[in-house]
This record gives sequence, C-alpha cells and structure tokens, in this order.
Amino acid sequence: MKIRTLLFSTIALLSATVAEAQGRRITGKVTAEEGGAPLSAASVTVVGTTTGTYTGEDGRFSVAAPAATVTLRVRRLGYAQKAVTVLAGQSDVTVSLVRDVLQLETQVVTGTATAVSSQNAANAVAVVSAEQLTRVAAPTIDVALQGKVAGAIITTNSGAPGGGSQVQLRGVSTILGSFSPLYVVDGVIVNNSTINGGLNVVSGASRGNYSSSQDQSVNRIADLNPNDIENIQILKGPSASSIYGSKGTNGVIIITTKQGRAGATTVDFTQRVGRSTLANKIGERCFQSAAEYAAWAAANIGQSAAAATADYNNAAVKCHDYEEEYYNNDGIAYETIGSLRGGSQSGSSFFVSGLAKHDNGLAPSDFYNKQSLRANVGQTLGSRFTLNANTEILHTLTQRGISGNDNYGVSPIGVFLFTPSIFPLARNADGTFPQNGSVINGPSNPFQNADQVKTPNNTYRFIGSATGNLSLFSTEQQTLDATLTGGVDTYKSNDKVVSPATNYADLAVNGALAGTLFNSDGNVTNANLNGSLVHRYVLPVITAQTSAGFRQERREVSITQLTGRGVIFPSVTNVSNAAQTFPNQTLGLNKDFGYFAQEELFALNERLLLTAGINAERSSNNGDQQKFFTYPKFSASYRVGILPSMINDLKLRAAYGKAGNQPTAGRTTFLTTLLYEGATGTRASTVKGADDIHPELATETEGGFDLTMFASRVRFSATAYKKKITDLLLTAPIVSSTGFTTQYLNGGQITNHGQELELDVTAYQRGTTSWISTTTFARQRGFVDELPEGINPFIPASGSFSSRYGNAWIAPGMSTTIIQATVGCKVDVAPGAACSSANRIIGFPADANPDFQAGFNNLVTVGAFRFSGLLDWRKGGAAVNLTNNYCDSYNLCADTLASQTRYNLYRAGGTAYVENAGFVKLRELTVGYQLPTGVTRSLFSGRAQSVRLELSGRNLKTWTKYTGLDPEVSNFGNQAIGRFQDVTPYPPARTFLFSLATTF
Amino acid sequence: MRKISLALSASFLLAAGCDSGIVTNENSPTVDALAGNLTGAGIQTLSLGVLAQDRALIASFAYLIEPEIFARDAYRIDSNEPRYVNETLNGTPDYGSFSGSGGFAAGYTAIRSATTLINALPGADPGAITEPQRLATTGFIKTIKALDYYRLLELRDTIGVAIQTADPNFVAPLSCKANVLDYIASLLDSANTNLTTAGASAKLPFTLPTGFTAYGRNYGVDSNIVKLNRGLKGKVDLYRGLQHTNPTAGAFTAAVAELTQALGGAAPGAVAASTFGNGAYVTFISGGTENTPNPLSDSKIGVNPKAQAALQAGDTRSSKIINRVSAPVTLGGSGLSTTLTYVGSNTANAANQVRPNAILRDEEIVLLRAQAYFELGQFANGAADLNSVRTTYGLAAIAVPTTLAAARTALLYEKRYSLFFEGPQRLVDLRAYGLLKAGITPAELPNDPFNTALPIPKFEADARGNVLTLSCK
Repeated sequence: MKIRTLLFSTIALLSATVAEAQGRRITGKVTAEEGGAPLSAASVTVVGTTTGTYTGEDGRFSVAAPAATVTLRVRRLGYAQKAVTVLAGQSDVTVSLVRDVLQLETQVVTGTATAVSSQNAANAVAVVSAEQLTRVAAPTIDVALQGKVAGAIITTNSGAPGGGSQVQLRGVSTILGSFSPLYVVDGVIVNNSTINGGLNVVSGASRGNYSSSQDQSVNRIADLNPNDIENIQILKGPSASSIYGSKGTNGVIIITTKQGRAGATTVDFTQRVGRSTLANKIGERCFQSAAEYAAWAAANIGQSAAAATADYNNAAVKCHDYEEEYYNNDGIAYETIGSLRGGSQSGSSFFVSGLAKHDNGLAPSDFYNKQSLRANVGQTLGSRFTLNANTEILHTLTQRGISGNDNYGVSPIGVFLFTPSIFPLARNADGTFPQNGSVINGPSNPFQNADQVKTPNNTYRFIGSATGNLSLFSTEQQTLDATLTGGVDTYKSNDKVVSPATNYADLAVNGALAGTLFNSDGNVTNANLNGSLVHRYVLPVITAQTSAGFRQERREVSITQLTGRGVIFPSVTNVSNAAQTFPNQTLGLNKDFGYFAQEELFALNERLLLTAGINAERSSNNGDQQKFFTYPKFSASYRVGILPSMINDLKLRAAYGKAGNQPTAGRTTFLTTLLYEGATGTRASTVKGADDIHPELATETEGGFDLTMFASRVRFSATAYKKKITDLLLTAPIVSSTGFTTQYLNGGQITNHGQELELDVTAYQRGTTSWISTTTFARQRGFVDELPEGINPFIPASGSFSSRYGNAWIAPGMSTTIIQATVGCKVDVAPGAACSSANRIIGFPADANPDFQAGFNNLVTVGAFRFSGLLDWRKGGAAVNLTNNYCDSYNLCADTLASQTRYNLYRAGGTAYVENAGFVKLRELTVGYQLPTGVTRSLFSGRAQSVRLELSGRNLKTWTKYTGLDPEVSNFGNQAIGRFQDVTPYPPARTFLFSLATTF
Repeated sequence: MRKISLALSASFLLAAGCDSGIVTNENSPTVDALAGNLTGAGIQTLSLGVLAQDRALIASFAYLIEPEIFARDAYRIDSNEPRYVNETLNGTPDYGSFSGSGGFAAGYTAIRSATTLINALPGADPGAITEPQRLATTGFIKTIKALDYYRLLELRDTIGVAIQTADPNFVAPLSCKANVLDYIASLLDSANTNLTTAGASAKLPFTLPTGFTAYGRNYGVDSNIVKLNRGLKGKVDLYRGLQHTNPTAGAFTAAVAELTQALGGAAPGAVAASTFGNGAYVTFISGGTENTPNPLSDSKIGVNPKAQAALQAGDTRSSKIINRVSAPVTLGGSGLSTTLTYVGSNTANAANQVRPNAILRDEEIVLLRAQAYFELGQFANGAADLNSVRTTYGLAAIAVPTTLAAARTALLYEKRYSLFFEGPQRLVDLRAYGLLKAGITPAELPNDPFNTALPIPKFEADARGNVLTLSCK
C-alpha cells in the first residue's frame, strides 16, 4: 500500500517536478540525535506548500523553497518529527531527530489512500509494530496481538496446534451477522473464513455424516506470516472503520507488510527451536484400593464386587494419569525465518522473505507446518509513476487430531474422564493398542486414534496486490494523485479425515460400515479493485485534502465435501472405495461495489484536523442488490496550543461514523429438496427469507484525549465510545408449530458502551539502559435494547447446549452476552434427587463478558540484555464448563467430593457448570542478549552486523479460578454469541523457544 | 493537462460501476420455482415432499426410540451423552435439548407442506390431473396430514398440539388432547369423503415410494387409500374412547366398524397371518444425498432385559431380541446395563439402515380391533382377533377373557411383541391405561419419573413468549 507516499504531511514526494519559481534551494542533513548517524528516507517538507523530498543514503537532502523564511518539517519512521525554521538566506541546515520510543509518529489510516500522523488522528487507532508483534514468536497473528490492544478481546478456541481464535473489537456487534473484524493486507481484503474440516464424521459432535461447526477448524487468518508484518493498525469501531462501509461494523485490522527501502541490502536470519508442554490438566480420579474401585463400579456401572475387585487386582498400574501419558508429544519445534531488504537510488526496492515452521501438538501425531515466501517489490518510473507489487505464497499442513465435543467416544479428554484409572491405554510393547477396558467408553482408545486417525488440513494460499500511483499534476499549491490497487487473496484448502476400519472406536460406532473417510476441497477467492483520487490544496492557513474513489470486491466460495463409510481397506484413502458416500457442496458468489468521498481539512498550523466522509455501497448480499447504502463519518481533532511546560502535547478528539454489516443469507425463501427413494420431493424451506434484507447499521460516537508529558516519556490516551447497532440481522425463531422455524429479518437494536485507556511510559532511559512499559485497559458493556415487534426473546441460532448447562439468550434490556441457565428448583428436592424439567427455574446466573481486560507489557534493556514480559488480565466473564459434567456423571473427577457436590446441584436444578472464567496469563516472557560487536565480527568473519540470542516463552503461567483446562475456550469455534462452551477441549500448551537472530 | 486529468478522473470514478452486481443463488431453488398453477411434476414433487417430511419426523430418536425407552422396552446408553438415560429413565426430558425438543418442528413442517399442497390442488392444471385424481390426491394427502397430527399427539399427549390454519403466519393456540383427537377424526372423515367421491378405482397421479406399493397393497389406488384412512380413523376412535377425562361416546363401536373396513370386512379372527405384514411403510435409504437411515440402526440401542424376561415360552417373536455382538458386548453406564439389543439395531449395517418401518399394517389393525372389542365388552370377538395373532407366533390360544382387566393384560402382551420397536404404540397404551406409574411399573433407576410424554420444546415456548395455555373444548 502506498499510503506513506500520500501522507497528508509527508507531501507528494512523487511530484518532484515542482516548479522552480521559488527563490532558493535548501540543502541539509538529517541525523539521529543519539549517535549522530545519518538517517535515510526521512521526509523533508516545506510547510505551507506541497514541496518536499526524502533524504538519501547519506542523510542529505535538497529542496526548493521560497526566498523568505520557511519552516521545514522533518519526519522519519521511528523518530519524533521536528519542525525547523530556515531563515531567508540560509541555505544549509542540519536536523537531528530523537527516537520515537512511544510511537507517537506512526501514520494511521484515515481512508483508502490517506493517512495522518497518530499525533493528529481523531480516532483511537491501535498500532502494533513488528517488534511488538514478534517479540515472542506466535503461531498466528491474532495470537500475537493478544494483550496488546485495548478494546480487543482475543480468545483462542483451544490449545490445538495451528491457531483458531476469535478477535472481538468493542464487544458484540451482531447477533447473527458476520462477526469477524475485516482483515486488510496491503489494501487487499483477505478472507478469514472457516471451512469445517469434517472431524464430526468421527466425533459425531453434531452427529450425522457431514462436517459441522464443532470440527475444531481454523479460521484462515491464521495463515498469515507474522514475521512479514511492518505494522498492524486496528480501527476498532465504525467511527474509524466507516471507510470500509458495509464491512466495517466489527472493526478493521489493517496489516501492512514490510517494504524494501533504498540502501544497502540487509539480510535477516532467525532460527528458533523450542518445545511445547502440557500447561494444565483436568485431573482424573485415582483409585487407591480395590474396595474403592468395587464401590465405584457397583454404583456406576452395575459391576459385581467380585468382578470389580478382580479387575482392580489384575491391573498392573492402578492409577494411570492418562492426560500426562497422552499429551506428551515432546518433539522439537522449529522456525526458520530469512529476509532480504533493500533498494536502489534508481527507484527499485524489494523485500523478500521466507519462513519454514514446524510446531508440535501436545498429542501424539499432531503438528502444524507452515512455509511462506513473500516478495514485495517497488519501482518508480520516471517522476510521476510508482508501482508496488506484493505477493505472498503460503502453505500450511496441519494435523490437529481429535478434540472438543463428541458423541462417538473419541475425544481424548472425554475418554479419559470415562475411563477408571486402572485400564492401560498406551501402546503395547508389540506395537498394538489395548482395547479400552472401561465399559463406559470402551473399546475406544485415544492412543490408537492418534496413531490411526488422520485429520490433515492442507492449505495453499496466495495473497497478492499491485498498486500503481500516478501524479496527475503538481504545482506549488496543489497536487492530484491517482491510485489504483488491485489484489487477490485465494486459497485452496483440503481437509481429510481418515479413520480405518481397524480402529476400535470406528468399529464400535459404525459396525459393518466401519472405515470412515472424509475429503473436503475448498476454493475461496477474494478479489478487490480500489481506485482513488487524492487532491491536495495547500494554503498558508489551511490544507485541504479531498479524496474520492471506488471500491469493488468479488468473493467466490466453492466447497465440495464427500464422506465415505464402510471403507474396509485401511490403506485406501480414496472415498470412491466407500460402501456409502455422502456428498455436500456449497457455492457462493458475492459482488460489492461502492463509492467514497472524503474531505480532510488541516488548519491552525496542523493543530486542527476536521474530516468528513461518506461511503455508498451496494452488495449482492442485500435483498435489493442494486440499492446503495450510505455510511457517513465526521471527526475532529485538536492539539491544544498553549500547555504547561511538563506537557508536550494534548490532543482532544471526537469522531462519529456509521458502518454496516452485510447480510450473509436470507434474500429469498428457498425450496427444500427432500429425496425419497431417489425421487425428488420439495417443500418450502422452514426458514422464511426477507426480500428487503439489508445490512445492519452501526453508529459509533467516540471521544477522548491523548496526552504526552515529561519530554515525551509518558503518553496517556483515554477513549470512550458508544456504539449503537440498529436493523440487526436476525434469524429470529418463529413459533415452529406454524410449520416454519426461522425468519430472516432486520430489526432491533444493540448498544455497546466502553472505555479504553492506554499508558505508555519510558520509565527509565539512560545510555543503553531503558525500561518501557505499556499498559492497556478496556471495559465494555453491551445490551440488547429492543427486538422487532412480535419477536420474543430467543436463544440465538449459534451453537449451544441446553439451559441445563448454560446458553446465550437475546432479550431486550439484557446484556448481549448474558448466560441463561437453570438456577434452582420450584420444589424442594432431596440430596441426590432430580428436579423435573417442569420445575426447573431458568435464570441468568452470569455474563460471559469480562468486567474489564488489561495488558501489561514491559521491555527492559540493560546494555546487551533485553527482558520483556506481557501479562494479560481478564477480570470476570463466565464460561460454561461442560467438561466437568463428563467426569461428574461417572464420578471420575479427581476431586470426588467437589465433583459430586456439583453433580447433585446440577441434578437439583442449580447452576453447576457456569464458572468465572477470569484469568491472568503470562502471555510472553523473553530474555535476549545481543552479542558484542567484536564477538559477532569474529564469529561471522565481519559479515554480520548483529547477533541476538533469545530465550522466550509463551503462555507460561495462568492464574485462574476456572476449574477447566483453560478459561479461553470455544467448542464451536468462531461465533458471534455463545462462545463460552467448554467441552473436552484440546489442552493448552506452554511453549519455550530459543532464538538466534542475525542481521547481515 | 488539467482538463485531461479531470477527464481521466471522472472516467476513473465511473468506469468500475459497469458490472450490474446481480448474483443469483446457485445452491437451492427458491419458492418462485413453484409459482403458478400446479403441474403434474409439481404434484409429484410436492406430494413426495409431504411424505419425505413425514419420514423426517419418524426418522428420529424422539419418535422411534424415546417412546420405547419411556415404555421400558428400549435403552439408549451412550457414555458420551448420559442424558439418553438421565433425561428418560432417571429424570425428565429437558425441553431445551434433544431429549425434550425432538419430534416436534418436523411434524408441523410436514403438516404445513400438506396444507400447502391441498390448497394448491384446486388450482392444478386441468391437463395435468383429472377430477378423480385430484380428489384421490386430496384424500391421500389429508390422510397423511392427519397421520402427522396423530404422531405429534403420540409424543405430546396432554401437553398440547397446535392445530394449524391455512394462514402460515397464524399462531394457533395449543389444543387439548380431546380437541386434537376430534380434529384428526374430522380430517380423516373429510379425506374419506374426498376418497369416496373420487371412486374406488381412482388412481393417484404420481409415483409413490415403494413403502406404499410393495407391501401387499398399492396405495396408489383409491380403494386402498380408504383402507389406510379407515385404519387410522379406527385407531383414533379407539383412543377417543379410552380418554379418561373425556371419552367420546360410541367411539369403540365406530372404531370396530372402521377397522373392519380397513381389514376389507374380515370377520373377527379371520385375517390370515400371511397378510399381517400388508400395509403402508416408511422406507429408508442410507448414504448419498438422501441419506435417511432407519434410526433404530444404532449400536447404542439396547433392549431392556425385562422385555426379554416377560416373553412367554415359545413365543417366536423372541427373535426380535438378540444378544449384542458389536463391542462392547455389554452396553452399560448411567446405572443401566444390558447385553441385549433389537434385531434391527444390532450393528449399524446397511441392512438395518434400510429396514422399513410400518406406518400401519394389518397385524396392528387386527390388534386394535381386538382392543376395541374388549373395550366394548365383546370378549369373544376380541379373543378371536387376539388369538389369530397369538397362534401365529407359536403360542396357544387364550380362553375368552371374563374380565376387562384380563382382556387388557392379554392384549397388551400381544401388542408389545407384535409391534416391538415399531413406534410409540406401547407408550400410548401404557399411558391410556394409566400403567406408567410408580408402584405399577418397577422403577428403572432411583429417580425414575415415569415419563409419559415429551414437553413443549424451549424454542417453541420461547417463541410463544412462554405462554402455553391449552385451548380446550
């Protein structure tokens, strides 16, 4: 993305053909204050004109200027900007810049082709730099963002390798619409869809023969390579994301990848090795004596005392710790990253990078492999045209094994909680696997499943974009630039599930039709074309920037899935060998088109910024496919002019904007095809469509201030917002005895309120010693204000289990994240007895929304040593722990007293499984050491510039009262509401890495 | 230069809007596909839609398995889902989950699709359908619609069933059992009128699934549809007579007449055993896009050992209960245990997946008539029908009972094993005779609530604003 070339204050540097009507030429040099090194690629602009230039490799510049006294503004990434006065007659100037430790100077996006310095930004746009992102290697970018952005709740679905997590910005913004933030990489809207991987065909979590939302699949943003990212900007709500129109409700995550830059080519090479270990266990009951086991067996499986005693006495090991035995994949994980970055003075630039990564899952046979290759190239042609092309090819091969909810007795945690501790499960010496001796869950053996059942996902992805930038004209006062960006994001994802007929579990479930195969081929393509014109008009008192353009998007999806049962040959993985097959296909095509226009006015010596913009968009997802829906925005920021000396800068800001969320379905009422003996029958679908379905509308008002104090060593930012979502997209239940179950409609309203605080402090800085601390804090509340007339409160159609455990509930006046569950019984029940369904009282024992979330990120540098740590604190917020119900029901939890107390409470109609899921996690911890230059030189015969050694850890420690494996959990993967279901998930891992990073 | 720039700019902004942006859905047809007068093809697909939706209702745990668990003939023991036991034999079905919400929406959808077709038939293309065909189709679809109401009533009993109107947006109140039985009876009679008017030789203008043609009787012919209609009407009238609170006068007499008509006028005891299997069936298919296997082909289903123990010596129907062969041989958990299973459940194999299930067959009609005779006090007639079944299965004929209690006991035995795992018939009988009670039926588990019906599902209750008042006559 060529945003930087069009920056408001960075001037149209491409329009170098500035009229030489001015009186003189100013030359000079830009250096770093600390060390005095020359700074290349710094922008130097003449205030009040469009004139400007960049410094060369030697830090020198030359710019035409009027004869009178002028002010030059000098900016460079990573340094605080400076304005210097050059008197009439002065022709040479040296400017030294101070490091911008707190990133006050980052350019933040305000439009498709416009950006402003964060010092002027009217929104609380979070910016995460490459260094912050990769301080500790993260498997995926969303994980890398955890704890670093105020107002973002980022939750991993489970501990399975390869990602799968949810990013929610400023609360729940939809009930049944799409809920993911929009991801934009270098101007291309990239796909974050999930293709269900078919685990259901062996787990039976949703029963049947097809894939399901309980397949523990990965949302594909996980593919991106965090190491290529220059920075991530997060437009948290519609007041900023309005520029993305009907895709902006959930916020926008704008990812900019690294670009080449003029100068000597640098080569970076990083090698990491590490391993992951089991971070937490549920704990199973250990039987201490034959008598204890016999008593248990009599009560729970109806086994006679003699038989149970014999089983116990025959067991070689009385107390297996299955979790310890199973989640014990101690293979080495590695990550190799290399990149080349450079460019020539003739206008070429390049950034080329490669990645090879291997992570192990905790369970045997599970892994996550990723390779990527990126080439970003840029070329300036003549004085008026630049072209940038960014491409990335990614490949991931992931095997996540079996986890989560299941009904076929295969999910390891579920099996372990149903297996008394006396039965051996691990592989026998002869290579065979024992049948699970538990009558509850036998013969299924997770060790055999791990060996035999394969669940590979193989994804190839290409993300590419090209941006052309043409300076149409340029005068001293005006410039007009045209930018055209075309991009494509396409992936091909293959999922397989292979469960041979010799598998105990498959045989028990499928009998004569044992032997299961699943094959899914998904092809997903997003294509964008954006064009914009930016006109800048610079006057002494005011600078006006007008931009207008269009944005076109096309999304295509084709998923073909085939399940086979009764495949009797274990080595065969071609579904055509199956005795029975079950096909399923999904096709989709969407087209969006929109216009936008925006006016930005800079006045009062760049202290006041006023912005007004509008987007008009149509989408084929809407009932009326040709109707344009409009999304305006207005914002203002003002940097207070006169301040006490200790305060460097105070900015007041306010922003208002609207954004939408497109319907994903519901334009028409379909006919449902029902086959009967191969002949086609039809009836009207039970889901009524709405021919006027249209986007949800989110309206956000945001206000706040940013304060920089004590020589820019402290920055405090406070933001409050109110986001109102109207015309909610609902699939509201219909009284089903009418013969219909659901109808699509727009209506109702949600309001979210929240506050976000960020405090950045350079607590200490002297010489080579520094301590930089960043604290983020965010809280938000969301309520359903109203539902459309005639729609009664309902359980949203997203996945959930029964109110006996806890489910989501949408009702006017209630929190959007409220948990509905049984809270008692209308009549007294004896201990251990059950409250009947009719007598159970349904209430609202908890809310899934945390009270607040805070992040503490500290970086301490002492000479060559660097220490950093990130704590992520989520206070409150509840989850539904169905995993406990598994071991409670057979009294096989480690803590039998607590378990049976809980189980009796459950049977008596109480709230037994809704738990506080608050936590404090030590997300990241690093100790780094930079080798002394002398050692570096001698080791690499003078070729290496720097060598850094690092020991780091991720998710090393969790403090929580939650009794499950991990308070971050979502059995159904990504869904807008009701994410809090914990059903025998993949356990969390603790990861240690050793890194060697070198720059040549 | 500026002019060129402006022209360039303008074209730049406008050019990209050329694509109309209109997209049609490729995944499914829309209801518009059936707009206009019904064609022959339309009648075929809509009729099959009704039958397939009826099958969707019965191809469920709630219809074919759960009532048999309530009736203490079946277990479903699944360690991964203890609610199959804890919400059937050791607790009440949860209205918010599968144990209490099944067998509901699918039935109402079947009824709605039947209503849609019935209302569209008068406007059918006259070239596609003759008047007798139209009447026969109307009578047939009305009979299936009545059947679906009856199925809903089997599962919900006195909890309430909503009687839909022609207006798809109208939310009908939940009606009392007596109202629903009366409504079903009137619907069956109305269908019978259509069928009679059509004439015995009228034929349906569409191809039926083999379950309606291949089991001793072709229901594509009006005279046979009448037999199905009268059989169902006799069944409904029998239970109208057995209502404790509000028995319908003359119901048993009407039932005997109707059931006799359904049996082609056969005298008591005169129905040949060779025709016991004649009737209408639901057929199942496994695999492919149709994929609707018989839900009984489920390895987690077991037979309650008490059902085997209660078999009389020599009863050849004992072959319906077999030892489990798939691992584990003992199906245990949640405090229950069995080594037995239903012959159609033993392993989920292809044969069991496609095992047809009777909608109504002559053996059941004979037993229903025996039941009606007993309730009328015509013990000899009842015993004649009863013994015609009994002796077929290797048992000695019973003497004519002298008391209604003895007659009912004898009848319940035959119905239990003749209709074993064929639907909710035993639950309906145990309920009708007040036998699902502590002290009469042994408890299976400590908290056995003796469930007799499923609740109104939570999604229905919520959508009604949790107002579930019954509308009674």
